[in-house]
Amino acid sequence: MVLELRSIEKSFGEKRVLTGVSFRAEGGKAFGLLGRNGAGKTTSIRILMGVFPADGGEVLIDGKPIDYKKIQIGYLPEERGLYPKKIILDQLTYFARLKGMEKKEAVKAIDFWLERLEMTEYRNKRLDTLSKGNQQKIQLITALAHDPDIVILDEPFSGLDPVNAMLLKDVVKEEIARGKIVLFSSHQMSYIEEFCDSIAILNAGKVALHGDLHEIKRNYVRDRLVVRTEFSAPILADFGTACTKLENGSLLIQLGNAGEKKEVMKRLVERYELDEVKVFEPSLNDIFVEYAGDSAEEDKK
Amino acid sequence: MKQFGTIFNFELKYYLKNKVFIGVTVFLVLLIAGVMFFPRVWAFFQSEEEAPTTPADGAVILLKADSAEKAETAAALFSAAFPEYNVQSTEDALDAIQNAVVTGEAECAFVLTSDTSYTYYVNNLSLYDMNTAVADEVLQQLYRMNAMTEAGMTMEEAGEILAVQIESQTESLGVNQAQNYWYTYIMIFALYMVILLYGQMVATNVASEKSSRAMEVLITSARPVSMMFGKVIASCLAGLLQLVAVFGSAFLFFRLNRDFWGDNIIINSIFDMPLSLLLFMLTFFVLGFFLYAFLFGAIGSTASKLEDINTSVMPVTMLFIISFIVVMVSMASGSVDTVLMKACSFIPFTSPMAMFTRIAMSTVPWHEIALSIGILIGSVFGVGVLSAKIYRVGVLLYGTTPKIGAILKAVRNA
Repeated sequence: MVLELRSIEKSFGEKRVLTGVSFRAEGGKAFGLLGRNGAGKTTSIRILMGVFPADGGEVLIDGKPIDYKKIQIGYLPEERGLYPKKIILDQLTYFARLKGMEKKEAVKAIDFWLERLEMTEYRNKRLDTLSKGNQQKIQLITALAHDPDIVILDEPFSGLDPVNAMLLKDVVKEEIARGKIVLFSSHQMSYIEEFCDSIAILNAGKVALHGDLHEIKRNYVRDRLVVRTEFSAPILADFGTACTKLENGSLLIQLGNAGEKKEVMKRLVERYELDEVKVFEPSLNDIFVEYAGDSAEEDKK
Repeated sequence: MKQFGTIFNFELKYYLKNKVFIGVTVFLVLLIAGVMFFPRVWAFFQSEEEAPTTPADGAVILLKADSAEKAETAAALFSAAFPEYNVQSTEDALDAIQNAVVTGEAECAFVLTSDTSYTYYVNNLSLYDMNTAVADEVLQQLYRMNAMTEAGMTMEEAGEILAVQIESQTESLGVNQAQNYWYTYIMIFALYMVILLYGQMVATNVASEKSSRAMEVLITSARPVSMMFGKVIASCLAGLLQLVAVFGSAFLFFRLNRDFWGDNIIINSIFDMPLSLLLFMLTFFVLGFFLYAFLFGAIGSTASKLEDINTSVMPVTMLFIISFIVVMVSMASGSVDTVLMKACSFIPFTSPMAMFTRIAMSTVPWHEIALSIGILIGSVFGVGVLSAKIYRVGVLLYGTTPKIGAILKAVRNA
């Protein structure tokens, strides 16, 4: 299954929020939707879910306009919250039934997920008796219980301890393996890097970068070297302004062009005591800063 | 439709499991039970200590006439006029009579000073003392009798003339306002309380979903129209159930205690309400409830915090209170068919109360009733759909409560 947003336009009043936003996410793969605060991520997600219509453009599933009666979507919103005073089973059943499940199958699915997320003991408790992390897990069940075709997770890892984050990672990997479209939105680049095969970076309502993450990385000009060594002073002296020391202690050497790579590497290995030398590949963080950084829309959401 | 059912069930459960809802209902039923059983309990205690409450056994009325020949006739007439008292003629001096009244030997005393004047002595003058009025009548009759016999009539003739009674009958061809006043009053008041109370509850309910962010999931799972109608209809049913519980138990308790209420006009008039009026009540209640609850729900959706609700709902609350006051004032004045009331009975926001009052306390042509209900039904659907639209826009707006103009603009664009 392929989900595609094509040339989505949206304005709220005078304010233009999305301009020609297009991206493509495939089943069985995770897709990362990135952008700074106010870049238009939540609006894109809401249009994708049909909360409100776009002013222009289309949302397609396998090339046809999406039919919300057939395609189920599970959503974990960034702004978490359920009914604090209600019994967990009651509200989970309510949300599952709103998604069209029968009561019996809803309860069955919820029990499965409570078990899977190690939350069975809280089944008949009120939500506000739970810790924040556990409330998040309950919220995750509202996104998954009805076995949706598309799973949208907005900042899924925020507020989770490492053990729970691990549990969530496993669950997400299972969902991806089951062929679902998993759409991530997060500022935690390490998670996106770990899961997502392709990404789109939104900047001020426009897609600044879109494509396969590995390809994006490969396409960077390979004209920088990273050197890890305990004796950095002579190298710094040798390369002068072309060499800078990174925060983690490694050295970054800017080459005149990518062709010099092999020669410089050889020279380094011969002359100095090194632990490691490799071609610099930008992290997603670097890519993000490059493509999303120059926006002044920080405060507008 | 299935979604609506799910929402409706969930919301109705919220009311029926709510401790405050149950508490208030039980309290009201107990209160009504208390009121309705009061005469029975009262009668029970009265029958136990009957002696001191009826004056028949010895409460004495002293009567001193200004002449000996008058004393006998006066005493006879007074005895007849005060059957529950023991009327005693006396020749004692004024001091002795006063003393007897003060010490409680006698309940009171009438000292006649001429054919047309007397002094009434009583120890503590009660607010409800009617003795002088009775005495006035007795003496007036005595005087007239004397005058007539002096003019040459026989006692019998004079007696006949004085005994003439006028018979009258009132037949109300339309509606009897005096009889309908009380139940109309109670019904309007119930309508007012329930709509205001439950309307606010709908607003709070929506706003709390929004402030707890449960809305983020809800709005992506359910259609706004289903949400709005599910909530409003559930709260309407909860309100109706409460009304039925309260009025049903009132009726039941009244039936149990009917004999003890005797002919209390107010109570009897309330429970003799015609069925047709009850049906009108139900119609206007449901429609009026929907109209206001939709507005309250829409307003609730625009508030970001629960604290904002009270100020946000003010305009709607004011509108409702004003129409309540208009209706109450015209009911009290007795003229419910004024131009203002007629106008109000067609304006959807005031018609539930105004038209119901007119139907109850006056005679309204059926086509006016039909028109009023028709306008109301149309408005309910219009306002329902509009508020669902406001709801969809409103629930996603956070921060300061937006202005009405901004919302309507957003609704048009959405």
